[in-house]
Amino acid sequence: MRELSLHILDLAQNSLTANAKRLDILVSEQKALDRLTITLQDDGKGMSPEFLANVTSPFTTTRTTRKVGLGIPMFKANAELSGGDFDIWSQVGVGTRMTANFVLSSIDRPPLGDMVSTMISLVIANPTFHFHYEYAVDGEAFTFDTEEIMQVLGGVPLDTPEVVSWMMDYLKEGMESLHGGA
Amino acid sequence: MTVAELKELLGARVLNEGVDLSREVGSAYVCDLLSWVMAKGAPGTAWVTVMNHLNVIAVATLLDMSCVIIPENIEVKPETLEKAAEEEIPVLSTGKTAFEIAGLMHSKGLGDPVK
Repeated sequence: MRELSLHILDLAQNSLTANAKRLDILVSEQKALDRLTITLQDDGKGMSPEFLANVTSPFTTTRTTRKVGLGIPMFKANAELSGGDFDIWSQVGVGTRMTANFVLSSIDRPPLGDMVSTMISLVIANPTFHFHYEYAVDGEAFTFDTEEIMQVLGGVPLDTPEVVSWMMDYLKEGMESLHGGA
Repeated sequence: MTVAELKELLGARVLNEGVDLSREVGSAYVCDLLSWVMAKGAPGTAWVTVMNHLNVIAVATLLDMSCVIIPENIEVKPETLEKAAEEEIPVLSTGKTAFEIAGLMHSKGLGDPVK
């Protein structure tokens, strides 16, 4: 993928397919450590140890239409290409957590990309799902939490055009205020 | 042109020996970004890439490509070659650059993949 946000968009689909109720997406830039960390954590159905052991192989997939699944393998390969690493943890009935570390300054690290559009696409396609997105730059964080927004709106659907427009501005301003570089 | 004929044209070696080379090559593509290739490749495409991990074989399998061509004598991981043999995807290797390989294929009339 040309941008890391596209990986996030792709991998979020795994959590939705796994019947998760909540997905936490954490993006953290740590300039002192020259590191960009992306963590995705869900409370979906999780994976068996056998499936988990092979999940970074592209020939492991839950798909029934084809035998190849490249979401996790490409994310891992991109992290490793930038000199970083990848780790995944999962437990049946508890959920799945994956963390990819990228070397922030690596020329082979794809840019973070358009996280505003990524989050908006996810919310519009799944307006009742609980997305918790956190973007942190050197310890300072911005949070976007759809359950909090739903509570404030008291029943107005998140895919209402006015709400979408507000969320876009909120995400854009929140992320820009941290002056990250990824 | 078959994969065997392409191998001769490029002066290439087959890294997973024993794989069938009689398949017709329908088109050619050069790119190292796997997700991009997933969107652009087609059945029968000969794909030139410097990438050497297992994901390459997965993309080639997914798109039913005719072969993968590794330029500049880049070493390919054994696990990649094992899977390529299993999936019957020929992996060719040559000392030529991707640019030279593309030039040779283009001169023989191979064109872009058509979805």
